[in-house]
Amino acid sequence: MANVGIVIVSHSEKVAEGAADMVRQMVGDAVPLAFTGGNSDGGLGTDVGQIMEAIDRAWSEAGVAVLVDLGGAETNTEMAIEMIDEARQNRIAICNAPIVEGAVIAATEASGGSPLDIVKQTAEELSPQ
Amino acid sequence: MDREFVVEDLVMDSALKKALIEDCAKMIIAHAEELTSLDQAIGDGDHGVNMKRGFESILADADSLAARPLPDMMKAIGTQLVMKVGGASGPLYGTLFLTLAKEISDQPTAENLKAAFAAAFEAVKARGKSEVGQKTMLDVFAPVLAAWDNRSDLASHLSETARLAAEATVSMKAIRGRASFLGDRSIGHMDPGARSSSLLIATIAKHFGA
Amino acid sequence: MNAPQMSSQAAVTGSALLTNAVGLHARPSVKLTQLAKSFSSTISVSTDAAGPWIDAKSPVKIMRVKAPQGTTLYFEALGDDAQEAITALVDLVERRFDEVEGDDHG
Repeated sequence: MANVGIVIVSHSEKVAEGAADMVRQMVGDAVPLAFTGGNSDGGLGTDVGQIMEAIDRAWSEAGVAVLVDLGGAETNTEMAIEMIDEARQNRIAICNAPIVEGAVIAATEASGGSPLDIVKQTAEELSPQ
Repeated sequence: MDREFVVEDLVMDSALKKALIEDCAKMIIAHAEELTSLDQAIGDGDHGVNMKRGFESILADADSLAARPLPDMMKAIGTQLVMKVGGASGPLYGTLFLTLAKEISDQPTAENLKAAFAAAFEAVKARGKSEVGQKTMLDVFAPVLAAWDNRSDLASHLSETARLAAEATVSMKAIRGRASFLGDRSIGHMDPGARSSSLLIATIAKHFGA
Repeated sequence: MNAPQMSSQAAVTGSALLTNAVGLHARPSVKLTQLAKSFSSTISVSTDAAGPWIDAKSPVKIMRVKAPQGTTLYFEALGDDAQEAITALVDLVERRFDEVEGDDHG
């Protein structure tokens, strides 16, 4: 089974791209990875359509773990998951973890072949227990 | 115009669906500036712009939307609103219509309409992680649901309930969303989502005899 | 169902000195964890020969060690590939995690 994919959703395009860059440089190419940041006007925010596309890009049969920053990113990601085909919905997990560190940790865990629930759980070790 | 609220008398045909779409869209577009200024007072100032963009794209699609069975039409509207409105309201209104789409029948009875709206209310609550009393559109939806009974002038009653409920948000303190960061300064301004939802309810009610 | 394997295996141990400038910072931590995960044995790490022992396959726990240059890392592995695991991990540390000196990747 392929590795779990990682999706980074930030209000800022630069943060999303930078976090993805760090994941690639630190963890390598072993995991599918996609990022999205900024709204459709190019300002700070997140866009449901763009999030759906990022999930498509990072898609793996093992599912995807999503890292988000502030509240709106989480709400829009939940919206995106609801609008994605039912077959994939229960293989998408939003992680309650800081976006940059969480992405690196999730990708590290995913690169070892861990299943989605373990990837999410590992990233969430970063948050206050 | 007093008429008995018998939903079953109205045939949910393409003509009615199209009229509902066009009237709702035009109402929102006509009030876009007002919604923007309400949102500038207590939000990030984009409610009017966002809603206008979303409803303009729905208006442009009115014919093809109206040709679909009602549940499909609601689903398509919900999807469009999510994709085009954006901001905080896109997911909320999108969820409202997507949930209505799951619950509503092609030729709804009064009971079905109420049940569908009740389900949509719960879904919007969950989506926005909000409760009644936090100065949001929920503070219009909840009173409307509570007032929904079997009276003969139900449509105008619900329309008035919505109007008064939106008014009531003026003196509320925001506990949710960007407005909540204003604390007490959010008092004295109507919530923009409450305004837009009361406008939509009033517009729809007109077709049912309000 | 196979009978449980009696642990006639003893733990395999090893140690290595951190000589790279940034010690066990984020990128070396990730490499250590990824390498550990490639083995089936349970593997633990400590900065003291007596412990406390940390799961070498846990990225968060390893990242929190933050051992500086000059620290000795102690490894303990238990399982079928324990020896290979220890050899590989000691080698990784001694190769300075293949970092280019001057690269401060966390």
